[in-house]
Amino acid sequence: MSFVEFVEGPLFILASAIFVLGALWRVIGIIRIGRKKDISPPKGSAVMGFVVGNLRHFFPRGIFARRTALHIIAGYGFHLALLVLVLFAAPHIAFIQDRLINVNLPEMPRWGFIVAAEIAFAGLIMLWVRRISDPVMRLISDWDDHIGTWLTFLVMLSGCFALQESQSFLRGLHMLLVDVWLIYFPFSRLMHAFTFFLSRGNTGATYGRKGMNL
Amino acid sequence: MMMRQILALVLFASLLNVGVAHAQTTAPNSEANAKAAQALENIMARQRGEVVLPSGSDVPAPEGGPLFGPDPGPPNTLGAQSQSDYWRAYRGGDPADVVAAIESGQAMTTTGQQWRLLRENYIRKYAGWFPVGVIGILLVFHLVIGKMTISAGRSGKTLPRFTLTQRVAHWFMACVFILLAFTGLIILLGRLAIAPYLGKEVNSILTSASLQGHNLFGPLFIIALVWMFIKFVRGNFFQLVDFKWIFKLGGLFGGHVSSSQFNFGEKSWFWMVVLIGTVISITGIALEFPWLVADLRLLQLSTILHGVGAVALISVAIGHIYVGTIGMEGSIDSMLKGEVDENWAKEHHDLWYEEVTGKPASEDAS
Amino acid sequence: MSANSDIAVAKFLEHTDAEAASFFEACVHCGECAEACQFYLSTGDPKYTPTYKLRPMERAYKRDKAPFSSLKKMLGLAPSPVTEEELREWEPLVYDSCNMCARCTLVCPMGIDIAGTIRKMREGYAAAGIVPEGLQRAAEFVKKTSSPMGITIKALTAQIKHQEEATGIKIEVDKQGADYMAIFSSMEIMGYPEVLGAYAKLFKKAGLTWTISSVAYEATNTGVQIGSGPLAKEIVTRVVDAAEALEVKHVISPECGHAYGAIRWAGPNMMGRQFKFEVVHIIELLDQLRREGRIPAGGKDTRRMTLHDPCQIIRRGGLLKEPRRLLDESCSDFVEMKGAGITNYCCGGGGGVSANPRAEELKTAAFSRKVEQLNGVKDLEAVVVPCGNCRAVFEDGLDAYDMDLEVIGLSELVAETLDESPEKQG
Ligand code: HEM
Ligand code: SF4
Ligand code: SF4
Repeated sequence: MSFVEFVEGPLFILASAIFVLGALWRVIGIIRIGRKKDISPPKGSAVMGFVVGNLRHFFPRGIFARRTALHIIAGYGFHLALLVLVLFAAPHIAFIQDRLINVNLPEMPRWGFIVAAEIAFAGLIMLWVRRISDPVMRLISDWDDHIGTWLTFLVMLSGCFALQESQSFLRGLHMLLVDVWLIYFPFSRLMHAFTFFLSRGNTGATYGRKGMNL
Repeated sequence: MMMRQILALVLFASLLNVGVAHAQTTAPNSEANAKAAQALENIMARQRGEVVLPSGSDVPAPEGGPLFGPDPGPPNTLGAQSQSDYWRAYRGGDPADVVAAIESGQAMTTTGQQWRLLRENYIRKYAGWFPVGVIGILLVFHLVIGKMTISAGRSGKTLPRFTLTQRVAHWFMACVFILLAFTGLIILLGRLAIAPYLGKEVNSILTSASLQGHNLFGPLFIIALVWMFIKFVRGNFFQLVDFKWIFKLGGLFGGHVSSSQFNFGEKSWFWMVVLIGTVISITGIALEFPWLVADLRLLQLSTILHGVGAVALISVAIGHIYVGTIGMEGSIDSMLKGEVDENWAKEHHDLWYEEVTGKPASEDAS
Repeated sequence: MSANSDIAVAKFLEHTDAEAASFFEACVHCGECAEACQFYLSTGDPKYTPTYKLRPMERAYKRDKAPFSSLKKMLGLAPSPVTEEELREWEPLVYDSCNMCARCTLVCPMGIDIAGTIRKMREGYAAAGIVPEGLQRAAEFVKKTSSPMGITIKALTAQIKHQEEATGIKIEVDKQGADYMAIFSSMEIMGYPEVLGAYAKLFKKAGLTWTISSVAYEATNTGVQIGSGPLAKEIVTRVVDAAEALEVKHVISPECGHAYGAIRWAGPNMMGRQFKFEVVHIIELLDQLRREGRIPAGGKDTRRMTLHDPCQIIRRGGLLKEPRRLLDESCSDFVEMKGAGITNYCCGGGGGVSANPRAEELKTAAFSRKVEQLNGVKDLEAVVVPCGNCRAVFEDGLDAYDMDLEVIGLSELVAETLDESPEKQG
């Protein structure tokens, strides 16, 4: 078995399993801690609050947006571009259809792929340099933040290194990093991609039930 | 017009391939072996003066008269007539108009040859030594003279120096620059500095990766450059005090030097980044999108300027990084926290200190 | 580890329910919340970043309760145990620099409720006895006199008498079977007794019966501020018992927002049952009476006014439009300050900060944000502050910043601008 076959085959399956099971375990573990039932007479709907809370926090509020514009632009740019890259880049679609499920995802033209990559890189770099150059960020950041960022960066970088598609080693390196990333994910703060709906929802539910303003 | 652009593109692609060594897998193949043996035999036979007609080649043997010129000259190793005049005419073409040159039978241009010589014999050969030299000088400086400390010690009080946006712009530029510097140096020097030691295979992988990375990060450099310019240009215009600073060599070797928000060294660095950065950006665009440039000579010039400019910036950047980190106590604070120690400001940017605080920077200043 | 830290950590873990856990899990250390917190904004000190204030509790959770915590502990990757030293280092962050305004939740991309979690965290601190002296003293007062400011029934009776004289309306104490029972915050009884007169006037006009209990008149819940569940329960129980003994149908929470939250939302949960009466906030009640035409507005106050949004009433209380509706009919020159409404700044003294003398300087610094907002309104003459606690903080703050501005309560303003012509009554 060649290096590429290994990282795209057995290692990828193992990593994916750890990713899926670990993430599920963690999310379920958080929910299972449970909340005491609130018996105060409600003023609104907790369920609605859960949903509204989740949606409301997608949109930054004007009064803060101005102060934190750079962060919002970089944050949204990075996340959206990465999502687009992962799902709609031609090599990824080929891989997904080959190894995972036979879905028909619309394929981006190559220039779209490149533009998305530029935005994702710019966004991630800005987010990280903000982390290292601001006293607040330096104080609250820990190893996990940096490892998560760097792993993601390396996955992206190796992906872009492999763009010529002429060296199987580069493809293998990209896949190896993807595997490492998948394994690291459930144990780290990268999990925010799944836990955000819980935190937003919980606040939303509390607020909604009390008829509070979101 | 279209034709011309496509041609330029094709030519460019072949130029780029100079930097990309393709690893050839040499699978044993008996048929190929047999052909090679036959070819060798034919060559030896011709050298013995026998006439051997080329086989399986679509180059026709000259029939009757010469193709070009009065004197056909001696036959070449394939048995066909040598066509030196043909080639001489062919390479005399006008590089500004490749299509016309081809139509008149003169498609090869000699500037390419000169460009190649320049690139191989000068740039490739010496480029790497500049950064290495700077590192060497800094090492000696650090060992002999050492870190510039804040002589009055840290005061514990700080002054705001850069906003968060300025800091992010700076580090964004730094990250992109470093990525480009590494990938660029590999593309330029891989054959010289990597292939002989780690092997062609490794060099080939690194070069392929670097080329893709370099192309992808290039556009980000332009964004970073514009952003950085907008965020830092205030305070970076040269002033009278800067000339005094030059006379005292920036206080590197002692002596008090006055300066406002940025000293002469920083201002020069800023303008180097801006000016050389602009050149690198423009030439970079030409190289990444060669169909935008019709004149081959411009592309050749671009690779030269791009390389020379980059090597210059990288060399100075090393010095900049040195002063920003281990070279000078308290400097990095401005880029990590946005604030600097008051005593640092007094010692390095006294005029700025006075402007910001309204207090004199030293006792004897009234 | 010490006995104290054991107690605190045990409480931290006990109070980390699925909600708090989801917050600790979801925080991406993005630092946005700092931009919302007036303690950070007014000092520039990164330690006032909201999420940072939760660190010890987060660590306890990640060490002992989070999914994978045992696996991480086995691998030596779990955070180290929380020490008493650390708890003490964080104490000022937990008590002095969070007014539980929940402004940070608005900006947090993860919607994390820092204020609510600080409340839970204080349970650990209170249980371990690591609390600011000022709050401790208030708690002791509560135990002795039921009031954090040590207001006795004698003092209250005297204030009631004054107000009866001023308005010429009788205020009945301990009236069995009244529709409404009003409770007040200490600050109101001590500093702004006119509110008693205002209630008397408004309720007389509206034609509803109300009373004040001689055993449970205090609404300020020091237990909630300090973070002590048992004390909070004791205070709420006193009010509930008195209200149920008097068989009133409603208890009116004063303007003070913490008091409202304590009895309206936390109350039934602390006592483990629903009440036999309904809790209404005074602004809610006035708005309802106004819309029913029972307290019609008369002549308007012509001064140029703006409204401060007390966090617990507006942002966390859901009463955004009510005070504005009342104001529109009470004053002719109303101007919103910049950032008014849901995103408004706290006065700086909420969440027990103003009851904690150690936090005085920080509170004043935080008030600078309010000063900026107030200065942003041209020719401002008065500011309506519908919360007794905020009002006191405003008066201190305006004093500290040498500002000349009248601070008025909403109930009083509504009472003053009430249409008193008898023919419209009915
Ligand atoms: C990665 C290592 C680097 C470090 C540690 C570093 C450090 C610094 C520091 C401390 C300053 C502020 C000096 C002051 O307070 O006046 C500064 C300014 C600056 N840096 Fe860097 N830097 C690095 C890389 C770069 C790179 C790669 C570039 C550009 C290609 C760059 C461009 C600049 C410019 C243009 C300024 C402003 C100088 C002025 O406006 O006069 N830096 N850097
Ligand atoms: S609730 Fe208010 S005071 Fe407390 S941390 Fe959040 S913004 Fe700051
Ligand atoms: S804004 Fe929310 S997610 Fe970001 S650091 Fe603060 S609490 Fe954490």
